Parts: sequence; C-alpha cells; structure tokens
Amino acid sequence: MNFNEARDLLWTASILYVFAVSFGFASTYFSKNNFCKQATLFAIVLGFFFQTRGLYLRGLEISGCPLGNNLERIQFITWSLILTFLILRLLWKLNLLGSLCSGMAGLFGIISLANVRWDHRYWTEDSYQRLFSDPWIELHASIAIFSYGIFALLAIVSGMYLIQRKSLLSKKSGIWGTFLPAINDLDHSAFRLLLVGTLFLTLSIVVGGMHWVHHPEFVTTIKLFITLLLWAGYCILFFLRYSNRLFGSKFFKTAISLFIVAMMSMGFVNSKNRHSSLPTSSLKAHDEQ
Amino acid sequence: MSSSEQSKSLHLLGSSHHIADLAVRERISLPQNKIDEFYGGLSALPGLDECLLLNTCNRTEIYGASKNGFSTNLLHEYLSNFQKIDPVFLSKHSYQHSGEKVVRHLFEVTAGIDSQMVGETEILGQVKKAYEDACQRNVSGKMLNRLFQKGFQAAKWARTNTGISKGQVNLGNVLCELARRIFGKVSNSRLLVVGAGEVAESAIEAFKSRGSQAITVTGRTFEWCPLSRRKPSELAEKFGGFALSFSKYHESLHHFDVILTSTASTRSLISENEVKRAMKRRPAKPLFLIDASVPRNIDEAVANIDNVFLYNMDDVSAIANENLKSRMAEVERCRNVLSKKAVRIWDQMTLHTLPSSSVNQSTASNS
Repeated sequence: MNFNEARDLLWTASILYVFAVSFGFASTYFSKNNFCKQATLFAIVLGFFFQTRGLYLRGLEISGCPLGNNLERIQFITWSLILTFLILRLLWKLNLLGSLCSGMAGLFGIISLANVRWDHRYWTEDSYQRLFSDPWIELHASIAIFSYGIFALLAIVSGMYLIQRKSLLSKKSGIWGTFLPAINDLDHSAFRLLLVGTLFLTLSIVVGGMHWVHHPEFVTTIKLFITLLLWAGYCILFFLRYSNRLFGSKFFKTAISLFIVAMMSMGFVNSKNRHSSLPTSSLKAHDEQ
Repeated sequence: MSSSEQSKSLHLLGSSHHIADLAVRERISLPQNKIDEFYGGLSALPGLDECLLLNTCNRTEIYGASKNGFSTNLLHEYLSNFQKIDPVFLSKHSYQHSGEKVVRHLFEVTAGIDSQMVGETEILGQVKKAYEDACQRNVSGKMLNRLFQKGFQAAKWARTNTGISKGQVNLGNVLCELARRIFGKVSNSRLLVVGAGEVAESAIEAFKSRGSQAITVTGRTFEWCPLSRRKPSELAEKFGGFALSFSKYHESLHHFDVILTSTASTRSLISENEVKRAMKRRPAKPLFLIDASVPRNIDEAVANIDNVFLYNMDDVSAIANENLKSRMAEVERCRNVLSKKAVRIWDQMTLHTLPSSSVNQSTASNS
C-alpha cells in the first residue's frame, strides 16, 4: 500500500470500516467481550485517519476541495458522517451507532472505489479549470457536504428508531431491540441532528447564494432547483417536527426518504461541467477575477 | 390406618394458558363477585367433601377431595352450568386429573414451572391466598390441607435447590426492561397503576428499585381492592407514591408515561378515545400501556394509535419465556424431582393416617 496514494488510503479506510462493523456486531452478540468494543472504536478512528489523509492528498492533487466526481462526493459524505459520529460519541456512548455508521461508510466506500468510472480523472483533462477557484464556493461545497453527512447520520438514527419500534410492536425481545437505544432517546437525537443539519445546509446555501448573485451563469437551473427543493424539504420537516405535527414513525420514514432523494440528486448538483456549456470568454473572465 | 382416609381421592378440573388463550380464559375465569355463589354451589355437590378454587389471570382450577364414587365430571358439569359455557367447549379447553396426578400438578404450579412465565414467584402467593380463602370458608379439610402444605414445601425446595428462579422472569422486571427500551431511563418515567393487586405491587416494586419517583396508584374500589384486599392508598404509601381518585384518573392519562391496569373489572376501563385524547396532549411522547387484567381492561384498538405500545399478559409472558429458554433444562430436572416427591406424598396420603395436628388450618397464613 502506498501511503501517498489517495485511492490506496481510501481503500484502507473502507476496509477498516468493514472491520469496525464486524467487531461492532460481534460485541453486540457477545456483550461481555470488551476487546470487540475497543477494537470497533479503534478501527473507526484509524479508518477516519486514513480517509482524512486520502481526501487531503486528493485535494492537493486537484488543487481544490475534492468534490468533482461521485467517488469524491461519496467519500466526503461518509467522512462527514464518521466525523459527526465521533463528535456525538463524546456526548453519548452509542456503540451500535458507531457500528452502523462504519457499516454505511465501509459499504459506500467500497462501492464508490470499485466503480472506476465514478473516479474519472477530470483534473488531468486539458479543459479542466480549477473547480473552486473562489474560496467562498469551496466553503459552500464543504459545508453542504458536511450537512449531508449529518443527514446520513439522521437516516441511520431513523433506521435504528424504526427497528426498535418494530421490535417493540412485534412484542419480542430480539437482539436488536435489547441493544438499540430507547426510542425516546433516538427521537431526541434525531431532532438535534435535523436542527444542526438544516442549519449547516442553510449556511451553505447562504454562502453559495452570495457567489450566485454575482455569477449566476455558473449555477445550472436544475442544480438551483434541486438544492432549494432539498433545503425546503429539510426545513419543512424540521418545522413539522418542531410543531409536533409530524412525529413517530412517519417523521423517521420521511427523514430516510429525504436522505435517499439527497443521494440520488448528487449528480445534478455538480456544476463543474459549466465549461462545456459556457462561452470560453466567460470562463476566462471568471478565471481572471 | 383409617379406612376412610384410604378411600379418599383427589380431583382437579382446570383451564390454564397451556390449553386456553386469553379470550377463552376470559370466558372460563370467575368474576370476583361470583366467588361466594360459586363456592356455595360447589361445596353442595354430592360426594365432594372438600374443595378449593384457584382463580388467577392465567388459570382457573378447582381442587376437590372426596370419598370414592365422586367423579371429576361433576366438577366439569358444575362449572359449565355456572359459567354458561358449552360443555364441549369447556372439555376442549380444560383438563381433569385425579389421584397422584393432582399432587404432581399442584407441585408444578406452586414451584412456578407450570406458569406462563416459568419460575415466577407470584403464583405461590396466589395459591396461598386461594388456600387461605378456602380455609376461611371451611371448605378445605384434611386432604386438601395436607396437599397444599406439601405444595408450599415443594415450591420452597424447587426455588432453593434448582435454577428455575434465576434471571429476570418477574413481571415487574420485564415491564421495566420494556419501559427502558421506550423511554431510556426508567427513573424518568411516570407510572400509573390502576388496581392494587400483586401484579401492581410487583410492577411498582420493580420501578421503585430502578429509581422511579413518580408512582401513582388508583383503584376502581378506592377504599378496598378485591384482588389484594387493601386500599390503593396503602400501596401508594408503602412505596412512597401518590394515590389518585379513580374518578379523576381518566382526565390525567396524558401525565403518565407508563400505565398498568390490574383489576378484576369485567368492563373496559381505558377506551380508545380516552387514549387518543391523552395522546393529543402529548403527541410526540410515547405511551406504554400494560393490561395485566383478565378480562382485559384496555381497549385493544389503542394499539393502532401511533406512539402507543400496548402489551397484555400474554405478550409480557412470551417475552419473559423467550428470555428463559436456557432455563428449560433446569425445569426438566425440577419436574422429575417434583414428580418423585408427588408419588411419595401421594403414597403417604393414601397409606397412612393423617395426624390432625399437622393440618391445622391456622398454619395457612404462616406457610
């Protein structure tokens, strides 16, 4: 393995996340085994370290925030997911949440790395201009992707809620029901995650909007439409939950659905292909700025 | 050896969770207000010298002792007529034993290995109460006295010498575990108990031991609970809880996180509309309802309301037994030993004269 190669590091991180989820489930089934609990956290932290370095090297390579292709976007979202989990873990010791987060990060990481077409080397093309020459746009993109990471965690918490609820309604004491947090705690956690995620997404839209008013030609209509639609979706979800009009299983199912929509719309919110649709003079003018 | 003792026999007619589901048990179970009338007719059956009724949520059993010639079918006929149940239906959902099998059955009941929650201890208290009741009515005599005294001893042996009572099978502990999965810390959840019976006490004890401070007790008959023969306010006082007037608790449902009903009421005490109204005042907070009564006191339809979790006795018992699969080997060992003890006791009962001093009725409450 080459520690100076971004893809190698990202592969290592994904495999470590898979190890983490394996150790996590082992510790769930054999709860007295303290080694498995420690190994889970260790693997997550080590995986996070490798993933951070991998994204850092890729950022250096492309001279910008690595969000130019599907692999980079997925890796950035899973990185945000793990970061949020590690911050939350300082507050609550949620071992099973860590296992599920690392499971999601490992699975999506491997899928994105295995699909070579998702990692096309756009920065080596002749027509490539530095994607985010404006630091405000880099800030906008990184905050937006970080909010996606929080929404990924919200989707996981929602899944945990639905599993615990189903276990309670089935009136059986399955292994999941015993080890998952209480639905009341999950409800509180989900509300806080939704609040924080919506705030970050709002902030990213404000930052992006500041750039958009000066250079509307760099943002496609579909990107604008989907971004605002998604933002409005999370805002409405937050206010419905805040006013107790949407709660329980319906709230959590909506949170998962919104996250799936967010993931499916990732390809549309990329504006790097602007060069092909814009006149060369316009691009030159932008670069000169 | 007395010839009259030799010729006596034991009889049992019963229905339990093994053979009848909750709906069937509701039909067979005797309402509290009909017990006097039932005993009146039962003790007048020709040829039946002694009788005892064990009437709990999970079983209705009639024990009898008679001279030869009495048939257990008479008990069957009497119960069928009294409860206006089709005899064929009753036959399908009941069992009959006589002689040594009655001894063995009672030993298994008192030891808790015949219970829905294997190894639970509440049944022993219920059997003692039923025996005490029969003694006070003067319907229990030498045979049944000896049988039940030996039954209590067998229960003590089983709990001391086998592992059937290890782990959490207690109703209250199972309820606390469910409450933890819904609310997180049990100590933060507010408990309302409707009724003051043993199930109620068990639940309160478990919640109290986990730090719950907000415990409220109410009762249909606020001055006196027929199941426990004490005031709900006494139960509340015992555990440092609050007593709530029965006429007011319907308006206060939204204040509670966990509501347990354990009464002998034959009608529904908490309706779907009442729970809906309560949930409107606490929409995002879950509500945990436990219906530990037979017949059921909480409308089944409340289970369809979002954020409401309704459990009945069968559900709680199923969870407890699921947790106790590992105990089954121990249960088998216990059953084998109790079976041998039953044979020995039956031999003693039929072959030796019973010393009258050993079956003094006053010992019932001390056993």
